[in-house]
Amino acid sequence: MKFTPKHIDENVNVSKTHPLVELAWLVGGMLLLAVVFYLVLGVTADLAVAKIPIKAEVWLGEHFVDSFEANEDEPLRRRLQTLLDNLPADSPLHNYTFTVQLVKNKEINALALPGGHIVVFSGLVEQAESENELAMVLAHELGHFAHRDHLERLGRGLGLTVATMLVFGEDSAVSRLVSNLFLVTESSYSRQQESEADRFGLDLLVSSYGHAGGAADFFARVGKKAGSRGPYLLASHPHPDDRIEELQRLIRENGYPVEMTTPLGDDLLAEAEPEQEVETAVEK
Amino acid sequence: MLEAVLGNLDIFLFLLFVVMGYSCGTIAEKRHYKSILKREKELIKLMLVSAEGRFADGAVNESFLVSGSMVVSNDYFKRLLAILRNFFGGRVKAYESLIDRARREAMLRMKEEAAARGAHMIVNLRLETSTIGRSANKKNRVGSIEALAYGTAVVMNRP
Repeated sequence: MKFTPKHIDENVNVSKTHPLVELAWLVGGMLLLAVVFYLVLGVTADLAVAKIPIKAEVWLGEHFVDSFEANEDEPLRRRLQTLLDNLPADSPLHNYTFTVQLVKNKEINALALPGGHIVVFSGLVEQAESENELAMVLAHELGHFAHRDHLERLGRGLGLTVATMLVFGEDSAVSRLVSNLFLVTESSYSRQQESEADRFGLDLLVSSYGHAGGAADFFARVGKKAGSRGPYLLASHPHPDDRIEELQRLIRENGYPVEMTTPLGDDLLAEAEPEQEVETAVEK
Repeated sequence: MLEAVLGNLDIFLFLLFVVMGYSCGTIAEKRHYKSILKREKELIKLMLVSAEGRFADGAVNESFLVSGSMVVSNDYFKRLLAILRNFFGGRVKAYESLIDRARREAMLRMKEEAAARGAHMIVNLRLETSTIGRSANKKNRVGSIEALAYGTAVVMNRP
């Protein structure tokens, strides 16, 4: 056998694909999978929300609310109870055990968390001038519970976070980024959900106070004060002017009377002071 | 801007590593292939076969073991490609060139050793690979592999 030295230029052992092209394909594929997953998750979350028993939600809430360090707030609690007492007898909200907390934070916002936890930022109480306004805000949050909006959003954010953790591992930077991104921004509601909660809030306000005074005051004041970079409330909620218009339309259509508002009670005014410690009240 | 970078430092570090891995890895690979091709052409006259050698009596002056090895490590970019590839399956193209380079470099080093000692051919060529280093087979670590080539160098009795 004769040995003929010959150099072979072609290399069958290495693929010719450019690495960046491969990266683009792979990343594109991953993104496509993520989008499909997110859409499927959205549809299933929407379908599942109505079926989740309130008990399961309360359990979920217990694990979620730990991140908000605050105690049950007694003055807010009393106001919430007044609203709850005026709910219709067949309201699904009677299955919840509501808690309301005041968090020292300049943000003008209130949150509805799973399990019947309402978080009110002190910035909001500072802004409120009448009992009716505050009741409207609380009733609005109750509206989110009644329509179970909070679960729908959480369902998607939670699902996406869990999926990323499964794929990239629990401590990876990607998972942390996704959970920060989605567990926060996904807790905002759609415009439709907001207007429905407004409607619910208005009805509840009227059945509690007998009139619709103060329903739109809060949004009017916040709307006026909104600077160039509007407060958080404006970002996630519909524009205040739209909400005021909508509320006024509803008041007219339903023929609700509008009377004088009650000034905010001293107990809450004291709490709204920035330096004051939050009153500790344990309630079971 | 600086706040965003510091807030997500791990992500920016990761991206930095990927970009560094890609640029440095590509440059190193190009240079290495250039050197491999050049040296392969220089040493092409030195016969290298995996067959067992059979020689007539008195034809062989001397025979000895020669070996060459190379350790090659992957970079962040290649690792990223391989991780992504794990989801979809198929050829892990990113690693192909690494293994190819290690194998060819190992054979070249072996040939260089044989040539330096005056061998006319290498028979019984064998190739081995192994993962090495503490990080081998561990998650989240950049591993390296070694390619080892060894064979029997033969010096013929030629006038």
